[in-house]
Amino acid sequence: MKTKKPNIGIVLFVAIGVVPFAAAFVYALLYSFGIIGVANQGFTLRFWESVLASGTFFKSLGYSVVIALVAVSLSVGGALWVTLKFRRQLEKRILSFVIYLPLAIPGIVTGFFTFQLFSKGGFFARISHKLGFITEASQFPDLVNDGLAVGIILSFITMVMPFFVLLFLNVYKNERIEELSILAQSLGANSRQVVHCVFLPILIRKTWVLIILYFIFLLGAYEVPLILGQESPQMLSVLIIQEIKQYDLDKISEGYVVAVLYTLLVSVAALALFLPKRKRAYAS
Amino acid sequence: MRKINYILFGLLLGTILLSCGEKASKNDERLKTATWESIASEARGTTVNFMMWQGSTAINDYINNYVVPSVKEKYNIDLQISGGQGPEIVQLVMGEKQADIEEGQVDMVWINGETFFQLRKINGLWGPFVEQLPNAALINFEDSFISTDFQQPINGMEAPWSINQFAIVYDYKKVPNPPKNIPELENFIKEHPGTFTISNDFTGMTLLKSLLAELGGSPNALNGPFDEKKYKELSEKLWKFINDNKRYFWKEGRTFPKEQSKMHQLYANGELLIAYGFSEGGIEDKVLNGLYPKTTKGYAWENGTIRNSNYLGILYNAPQKAGAMQVINFLLSPEAQFKKADANGMDSNTVLAMDKLELEWKDKFLEARKRQYGPILEELEANAIAEPAPEYMIRLYEDFRKKVIEN
Repeated sequence: MKTKKPNIGIVLFVAIGVVPFAAAFVYALLYSFGIIGVANQGFTLRFWESVLASGTFFKSLGYSVVIALVAVSLSVGGALWVTLKFRRQLEKRILSFVIYLPLAIPGIVTGFFTFQLFSKGGFFARISHKLGFITEASQFPDLVNDGLAVGIILSFITMVMPFFVLLFLNVYKNERIEELSILAQSLGANSRQVVHCVFLPILIRKTWVLIILYFIFLLGAYEVPLILGQESPQMLSVLIIQEIKQYDLDKISEGYVVAVLYTLLVSVAALALFLPKRKRAYAS
Repeated sequence: MRKINYILFGLLLGTILLSCGEKASKNDERLKTATWESIASEARGTTVNFMMWQGSTAINDYINNYVVPSVKEKYNIDLQISGGQGPEIVQLVMGEKQADIEEGQVDMVWINGETFFQLRKINGLWGPFVEQLPNAALINFEDSFISTDFQQPINGMEAPWSINQFAIVYDYKKVPNPPKNIPELENFIKEHPGTFTISNDFTGMTLLKSLLAELGGSPNALNGPFDEKKYKELSEKLWKFINDNKRYFWKEGRTFPKEQSKMHQLYANGELLIAYGFSEGGIEDKVLNGLYPKTTKGYAWENGTIRNSNYLGILYNAPQKAGAMQVINFLLSPEAQFKKADANGMDSNTVLAMDKLELEWKDKFLEARKRQYGPILEELEANAIAEPAPEYMIRLYEDFRKKVIEN
């Protein structure tokens, strides 16, 4: 009897988690080769050729990777710094509330907030105008819909950093880093050595899987780059939706090509990252 | 506990299977020849799903607080509104065609020429049905801006709902002499760098069509079927003009707003000095809502701006075609069109021909509340040009991305 329970769990997981995903992937794959699709005329490699030849996908991929990488690095760095410096203060209610509040805000709202605050007609531009730093809206620096994706990265950091602060604080407690630091200090380590040899290695080693998952999550983010991004290059999800919703029905399949490529890439990366570790864990 | 799990799982699976297998065959062909009385009686008591763009409070107010209660009271029809425009409608129809769904989720849709072209391409519309509607007799189908959509005759496959013209929007206090042709535009952006842009959507492409016609030398330069040679020649000039002057565009032409609403915000906060849009610039409600300054005005390009109509269509797999016909007929009634023309409400031009209306309604329309800020359709009439063939739009979209944005 007892062995039955996990089975139904797996069946449900497959039915709800795996089957729809696999079905959608197969659908996108067939669509990308023109096998299905109301406006398509049958199997063709045309869409793959045109996507691979245009270079838009690779540009967009590179752009997305850089943005996600910068955002995750800054968020993790910031969260580590906050954990290290403000651990005690964060135990107070009000401060922790302020820090964790962004976790409850959806991405699309964060995107709008950022736009309202940092656009050329936004809050900070208006304050700068009142204070006489600028005389015209166009003098305010380009922070949203800009080439360097400052707005997108700022939004990502607001969304992701609180999560890492929360995570690091928990790991800090659970891994008893406080006690270990005291121990290291009593053995003669200075505070620099404590940070480099105790604090950082334990926190990072315990959380690196989540850091990479967040990187993948940001790689595929949609709402924030939709609101704050520029028209070219675009982040991957925005590009995919734009291709799929395009006016020229004959080219909708190109959107599916990008979607398939992106899915393959992320799946391969995830497998490469997580599989060997698991085997080792079972072996030991 | 385990039993409950199995039951729940079975239910889940069952619902999935049932929802896939939903099919019903119905012969709707007879509606095309049936008498209006029999259509009206079939429509009574139905629930009609209407997918439309819900991005304007004035439009939502008109639909939710006037149309929905009216059709309920008059015809006992429950009109359900769902949000979605062009691409969403096309995606929905493509998905339902793919899945062979004979009874779709949506009965009627609000579309423009772009979507009409796409839906026609995939046979997504049901019809012809317009001639069956009693109120269609009040429309002047001789007017080519009504009976032709993107150079294609509508042939009763969609019913015109309102007519409008594209206009350029400016603030006469800041810009006393706005540009009216390409050389003037070039001078203007050189004098006021960063205050002009092209939105990468339907609205921006419509402006490009006007510019293309101007480069072609006449308001009618793009009429007729798509001409590859003509397009290549004119578009090369257009991209050269834009790329040569890109550095004077908003953000030095490094990026362009994704859609018109963003451009309108940029105009409202003073970043842009010139904006543009359909509905004669859509100025009235934006001034009344306080978005645009009261000194905003609109005008047509010297060589002309696009005039077109927007339409109501019935989807090929609409479960309640009779109900949709009744609702569309109501939307074309003098009563509903008059309410829609209110300058403080939806502010949209009627498609009804004044000389076909009864005197009482004609007087009402003529005495209706007028716009205080935006230009009226008649003022722009002399500079109206027709929508060119849809291929121009497809190519402009593609080439604007390749030759300007990604350049």
